[in-house]
Amino acid sequence: MQQFVQGFLQAIDPRAIIYLLVGTFSGLIIGTLPGLTATMAVAIITPLTFWLSPNEGLAMLIGVWNSAIFSGGISAILINTPGTPASIASTFDGFALTKKGMAGLALGINVVFSCVGGILGIVALIAVGFPLAKFALSFGPAEYFTLAIFGLSTMVAVSGKSILKGMIAGFLGFSIALIGLDPIFGSERFTFGRMELLGGISFIPVMIGLFGIGEVLSQIFTKSRTMSADARITTQLKRVVPTFKEVKDLTPVALLSSLIGIVIGVIPGAGADIAGLVAWDQSRRIAKRPEEYGKGSLEGLAASTTANNACLGGALTTMMALGLPGDAVTAILIGAFIIYGVQPGPIMFRDHANFVYMVITLMLLANVVFLAVGFFFSKILTKFLSLPQSFIWATIIILSLVGSYAINNSAFDLMIVFLSGVLGFIFRLLDVPLGPIVLALILGPMAEANMRRALILSGGSFTTFFTRPISLVLLILSAVSLLTSVLRKRKS
Amino acid sequence: MRRLLVFVSLVLATLLLAAYPDKPITFIIQAAPGGASDMVSRTITAIAQEILKVPINCTNITGAAGAIAMKRLQTSKPDGYTMGYVPVELSMVKALGYADFGPEDFDLLMRIMVIPAALTVRADSPWKTAQEFIEYVKTRPGTVTVGNSGPGSIWHIAALSLEKAAGIKLVHVPFDGAAPAVAALLGGHITAVTVSPTEVKAGVESGQLRILAVMSDERTPLFPDVPTMKELGYDVSIAAWGGLALPKGVDPEVYKILADAFKKAYDSETFQKFLLDRGMTPAYLDGQKFKEFAVAQYNMFMELIPKALGK
Repeated sequence: MQQFVQGFLQAIDPRAIIYLLVGTFSGLIIGTLPGLTATMAVAIITPLTFWLSPNEGLAMLIGVWNSAIFSGGISAILINTPGTPASIASTFDGFALTKKGMAGLALGINVVFSCVGGILGIVALIAVGFPLAKFALSFGPAEYFTLAIFGLSTMVAVSGKSILKGMIAGFLGFSIALIGLDPIFGSERFTFGRMELLGGISFIPVMIGLFGIGEVLSQIFTKSRTMSADARITTQLKRVVPTFKEVKDLTPVALLSSLIGIVIGVIPGAGADIAGLVAWDQSRRIAKRPEEYGKGSLEGLAASTTANNACLGGALTTMMALGLPGDAVTAILIGAFIIYGVQPGPIMFRDHANFVYMVITLMLLANVVFLAVGFFFSKILTKFLSLPQSFIWATIIILSLVGSYAINNSAFDLMIVFLSGVLGFIFRLLDVPLGPIVLALILGPMAEANMRRALILSGGSFTTFFTRPISLVLLILSAVSLLTSVLRKRKS
Repeated sequence: MRRLLVFVSLVLATLLLAAYPDKPITFIIQAAPGGASDMVSRTITAIAQEILKVPINCTNITGAAGAIAMKRLQTSKPDGYTMGYVPVELSMVKALGYADFGPEDFDLLMRIMVIPAALTVRADSPWKTAQEFIEYVKTRPGTVTVGNSGPGSIWHIAALSLEKAAGIKLVHVPFDGAAPAVAALLGGHITAVTVSPTEVKAGVESGQLRILAVMSDERTPLFPDVPTMKELGYDVSIAAWGGLALPKGVDPEVYKILADAFKKAYDSETFQKFLLDRGMTPAYLDGQKFKEFAVAQYNMFMELIPKALGK
């Protein structure tokens, strides 16, 4: 109890609160800008926090982390370009809502449900942290493979009207994912002797190109042909704050999505991007109006925004209960904890309980803070949409290029972003969906490497995927998910 | 008039040189933000810029085990305004076939630290010592699974060297980084890992994992009770290391200014505490000794890696 009070007091120290606010604001901006990710922000700020006391430093880092994951959804909604990979699934319904002139409400949903997800994630950490972390350890290569397959079963759902076109897009994604070093042998694949290709094609420039640049090109193209007033110019902000009834209606979907987010967050190596995609697809099963998914469904948007923030609590659980990184950001946070003299892991709960309480309180506070600031920030950003179209296009293109370059300071990535932009444009013309490409790029490498690892461990026998209980359950779920998606497509 | 011009420009040139550094220095980090290389670089440059009185801007360039960044460094202007971090991969990338350069293509500034490889198993496994583990593997060649951080990574080479020194046959399981390998060990999916002591520290302290031996010449300050492989009679010495480098051909005076400033930063209390906290062994070597060391490593990897990976 004394430990709790101590940790709590450290977290609500006025100086810590000020750093939390600074972190939240930086996170909002970094998260909104495509290409600048939460991981990058936390990594760059970490060395600066060595000069601060633990509660101040962590307040800043936790503020950045929580608000960057939330604000990635803002650019997904407004300009169809995910601010961070965690918000990919938020583009599906978020941007559709913007096109319907409901950008304000979409942003409001993003704020509210990111906060709901974030808080539920922390509640799970408090309530069932240790059992959850134990569960995460039962994931071996076979389970990672079948988890990736389960994620890939979403592909039909994100395929739009034609399953065939979706599969073609998916195949392209898998092919791109093959470029680089072989994950098991380390031999070069499709690198054509180019050093830049050894590490494979970076995911973020492809994502920004397909969604951001591709969207701009296609808007320019359709506009010059039709010359009709674009729906987006008539966008009125209307209200941002959702009504109580709307929130209530979205609660079941949000609860399921939180659960999915937490579980995926707990599993090391599976992060908020996967959580958002899986929650978006699976929550449809309990949705009131599943047929609206992908066409501007509030439920679909709530699902992805809840899941990606719920993921943070899951990742933090793995990090604190096991001392292992739950995702890229927690990998950096481990370093920050160690600098403050606290080794994350089970003994942390015994030796540094006050530190644990401090972190948990800061996480909860961070969610409350971005809930408050987020509405305000979103409201200002919607003004952006009332600018003349040409300004919006130019801004998106500049931000996309700067963001892609910033990831790796590589001119090669600029080429990638440009090529994927053209590809995204052509695909929009041909009505080929982009979701499957992104899905294959994220999950393809995970599936491939883990299938081969699992086969090394099983001595080459494929039965390992069916005899391990979690793996078998995931395979059955994948089959069900795939079958129902196909049947649903048939019906409509 | 002409003489005067020559004189003035000479004076100016001397003044300019004496004023080094008078503009920001670019520091290339060969790994993603957040890892050991990144944290070492950002911490030491943060201290060194106070000493040099110019900002040092860190730039992360990833890919090809750091080869892309090191290539960029190697081909930068040797004016002292571009420098970078070089990890053990500096001596490995040529053998791995990723690049065509080695340590002799740089002006090495100093070595900062080493992190040894360590053989770690689960605490509930029957092996209390490295010998017991090795004897067990001998009775069951090609069945015991050992995780590492990726094909051709330094921890993969560590397991391969152990195989060679102990005359055993292991099953190597490459993961995408050390942390997933440790997770697989904790979950009982593999039998052992050969990653650094830092990465298994949480598991060891909570009583879930046991370090059997480290593969460095000296014991690690992180676990002073754990013996080295050499003490146990196996001739393995594999460690990751990191240091600072400049493009080849930097003016000796500029080199000295940087070497002095970074030595001061290295000696600072903040930086020493940082290294020990993160489980890295401080291992300063000056530029000349660092070069000899890196070249010796290079020769070792040139022999070891092609055999090991069948390249």
